[in-house]
Amino acid sequence: MSLPMDYDVVIAGAGVIGASTAFHLARRGMRVAVIDATGPAAAASGASDGAVSVASKKPGVMARLATASLLYTRSLAQTGGPLHGIYSARPGYFFATDPAEELALDSLISKLSGLGGPVTVTADGNGNIGLAGLGPTVRRLVTLTGEGHMLGFEAVRAYLSAANIETIWPDRLMRWEADDAGITVETSKGHLRAGKMVAALGVSSAALFPDLPVLPRAGQLIVTDRAPGQPLPGALTAASYLIAKTAERRALPNPPVVIDPLVTGQFLIGSSREDHGDPSRVDFPTMRKLVARAVEVWPALGARQIIRTFAGIRAAVIDGMPIVGAVPQTPRLILATGFEGDGICLSAVMGREIAAMVAGEPVTDGLAADISALTPRRFEIGEARSA
Amino acid sequence: MNEPVVLVVGAGLAGFSAAAEIAGAGLRVLVVEQAAAPGGAIHRQPLPGIAYPVASAVHRRRWTQVTASVRAQGDRIEIRYGCRFAGLDHEGTALLTGARNALVRPRALVIATGAAERVRPRPGWTLPNVMTAGALQIRTKTLGKAPDGRILLGGSGPLLLAAGAELVKGGNPPVAIIEAGRPFRHVIGSLGLPLPYLREAAGYMATLLRARVPVLTGTEIVRIEKRSGALTLHVESSSGGRTFDGDLIGLHDGIRASDHYAAASSIPVMRAGDCREALGARAALADGRAAGAALVAELTGTVPASAKDSSRIERERRAQRRLARIFGHDGSARLAALPADTVICRCENRTVGDLRALGPVPTDRDLRLHGRFAMGACQGRFCTEWVRALTDPSHAGSPLGAVRLPAHPIAIADLLDAGGIADNPSTGE
Repeated sequence: MSLPMDYDVVIAGAGVIGASTAFHLARRGMRVAVIDATGPAAAASGASDGAVSVASKKPGVMARLATASLLYTRSLAQTGGPLHGIYSARPGYFFATDPAEELALDSLISKLSGLGGPVTVTADGNGNIGLAGLGPTVRRLVTLTGEGHMLGFEAVRAYLSAANIETIWPDRLMRWEADDAGITVETSKGHLRAGKMVAALGVSSAALFPDLPVLPRAGQLIVTDRAPGQPLPGALTAASYLIAKTAERRALPNPPVVIDPLVTGQFLIGSSREDHGDPSRVDFPTMRKLVARAVEVWPALGARQIIRTFAGIRAAVIDGMPIVGAVPQTPRLILATGFEGDGICLSAVMGREIAAMVAGEPVTDGLAADISALTPRRFEIGEARSA
Repeated sequence: MNEPVVLVVGAGLAGFSAAAEIAGAGLRVLVVEQAAAPGGAIHRQPLPGIAYPVASAVHRRRWTQVTASVRAQGDRIEIRYGCRFAGLDHEGTALLTGARNALVRPRALVIATGAAERVRPRPGWTLPNVMTAGALQIRTKTLGKAPDGRILLGGSGPLLLAAGAELVKGGNPPVAIIEAGRPFRHVIGSLGLPLPYLREAAGYMATLLRARVPVLTGTEIVRIEKRSGALTLHVESSSGGRTFDGDLIGLHDGIRASDHYAAASSIPVMRAGDCREALGARAALADGRAAGAALVAELTGTVPASAKDSSRIERERRAQRRLARIFGHDGSARLAALPADTVICRCENRTVGDLRALGPVPTDRDLRLHGRFAMGACQGRFCTEWVRALTDPSHAGSPLGAVRLPAHPIAIADLLDAGGIADNPSTGE
C-alpha cells in the first residue's frame, strides 16, 4: 500500500529547535509541516531569557557546539538572513561574591581561551572595572564580548515565517507508524503522511518516550516594572550559575541569579532550578531569595516593583546533554530534545545539522564527533510508543 | 497567642460576614483591607472625621448589622487597614504589604475582594478624568461629597443609576446619565424583580428626577475627546448623534466576578461574595456567611448552626439574571467596529490595530509575547475580556489574563522587608 505523501517532513514541536529545523529543511526545498499541541514557542522557548552564550555552557561538547552556533547565528543575522533584527550582540557580565565563585570565574576564562574565540574577556577585576552600579559585595567581575541575545519567541516566528512552512496548531501528536516508504503520523486533528518526522518536543518528549531520561526542571523567573533609563547593557550572571551547570546537584554557595535587562526597560530575574514540571509553582520565599541577591549585586533593583513571576519548564537530560539523532528502532524518526535552556543558543546549528540528518547527508565538518555525542543510542530508550 | 489565623482578604460585606462566622466558631481571624476604611465598593465608609450623607437607609441598616456581628467577636477578629494581600503561593505562604510587610502562613484563606468593574474600550476611554463609575462612587463615599465639575455617567447597568443618585446626594448631580440599554421598556420584566430591588431602583429614580438629571436610554457612547481642557462625549441613539461636555466622566459596563488572587495551595481557600459570583450586596452577605460556615466545617469538622443559605443566593442569582436582561444590550458590533487606534490594554498601551496585526487566530503566547496583551501591571485583568471578544471568543478557559503571583505589583523593597515566615503576623511568631 502506498499512501500519498503530504509532506517530506513533519516536525512535532514549534519551539526554537523545531522552528530552526523547519527553516533549514524548507531551505533545502523540502515540504515541511510543523505541528504543536499549543502553538509557537509555547513552552521553554517562550519562557527563556534569550541568551546566546558560550560562557554559560558546560565545557567540552556543549561549549564547542555553542561556539559553532554563535558564529552561525551571527551569519543568519546578516542582512537578508532569517535572524536579521532578531539576534543582536551584547556584552555579558559574570560576577563573584565569594571564593568559590571566583574559582568558577577562573574556569570560565580558561574555558573561553581554550575555545579560541569568538568570545573574549574584555575586563576582569574588582567590581567597578567595566560596569558602574554594582553592589559593594561583588569581588570580581568578568566582562565578555562576542556573545549576543535573541528572544526565543521572536526567533521561532522568524524561522517559521522565513520559508514556506505549513504550521498547524493546536494539534497534538498522538502516535505514529513507520513503514518502508514513510511515516504515518496520527494527530488530534487527523493523519499526516510524511517521509520522516522530527520530534522536537522538549519536556513533552517524556510522554511519548517513557524510558527517555528527560526530566522537567522548573525555574522561577521574576519580571519587574520598567526602569527609567537602563544602565545595564547585558545580562549580569552569578558565577554560581556556572557551578550549577558543571556540577549537577552540588549545593551552591549562592543562588545562581541572572539579571537580564529587557528591551522594554524591565528586568527579568532568574532563576531557581527545581525538579518538577508544574509551571504554576512559584513561591514567595524563592522569589525573595532571588531578588535579595539580585539587589545585593545590582542595588538599583531595590527601587523596582515585581509585576509577575512565572516558572519556565526546561527539559533536562540525566547526563546534562541534549538528545539529538535518529531513534535506533525507527530511523525515520529523529529526536531533538533535552536542551535545558540551551536551545536558543544551539538552535541555529542544531536546525542545520538535523536537516542534514533528515536529508541523509553527513553533518558539517568538524562537528561530527560532538553531534554524535548527543545520540539517543547512549540510552536504552526502548520502542517508540504512542502518547 | 501565636496560633495561625484564618486570613480574610477584603473588609466588605462578604469578608466581614465570613470573618464573623469563622470567629464565632472560636477561630482567630485577621481581616486585611487595602483601603483606609471598610465597606468595600457598595458600603464604603467615609474617612475618619468625614460625615456620610450619601448612603441610603437600607445600606446603613445592612452595614450596621454586619459590623455589629464583627464587633461581637471581640479580639478574635483583628482588622488591618492599608494592608494589601499580594497573593498566596502554592506552599500556603501569603505576602502582606503595607505598614507592616510580612510573609504569613495562615490556616486558611477567604478571598472576598469584590467584583471587577467592566469598561468597554471606546476611543478616548483612557483620557485623564475618565474613570469608572464605581471609582467615582467610592470617591464620593470616601470623601463624603461628590467631586466638583460637570460629571457625566455612561455605559450600561443599574450601577449608573445608583452612582448618579449618590452624586446628587453628594451635592453635585451629574449632567446626564447615558444608558445603552432600554431598561424602562421592560415594565413587565421589571415587575418580576424582588421588591427590595424595585424599591431601591425607585429611590434612585426619584432622587434623579428631583434633581432633573436626564437619563438617556438606548444611547451609546461613541467616543470621548479632549477639547480645550474639557471632555466631549459623543453619543448616538436611533434618533441621531449629539454631544455632552463635561469635566469628569464615569464609565461602566457592568460588573463581573474577579477571581485572581490565589494559587492552588496546601491550605483551604474559599471565595466569597462578588469576587466569586457577581450577585450584589444582598447575596454577598449570605455568601460570606456560607463561605465562613463551610470553612469552619472543613477546619473543625463541626457544621455551624447557621446552615448554608443557598436559597438566598439562588434568589439573588435569579434577580441578577433578570436585571441583566432588563439592561441587556449587545455591544459586540460596536466593539468590532472600533477604530484601529483605540487602546485596549492601557498598561502597555496596545491598540485594536496591534491586536488585528496578530492575525485572525493568534495563540495566547502570540497575544502575550508578540502583542504584549496582558503583559502589564494588571496582568490582563481588564483587557482579556475584550481581547477575547475581538479574537477567538470560543477560546474558553484560556491562560490569557490568568494572574500569576504577585496578585498586584509589589515593591521589591517590601518583599525584602517581609522577613521570615510567621504563622501569626500579629505576634511575629
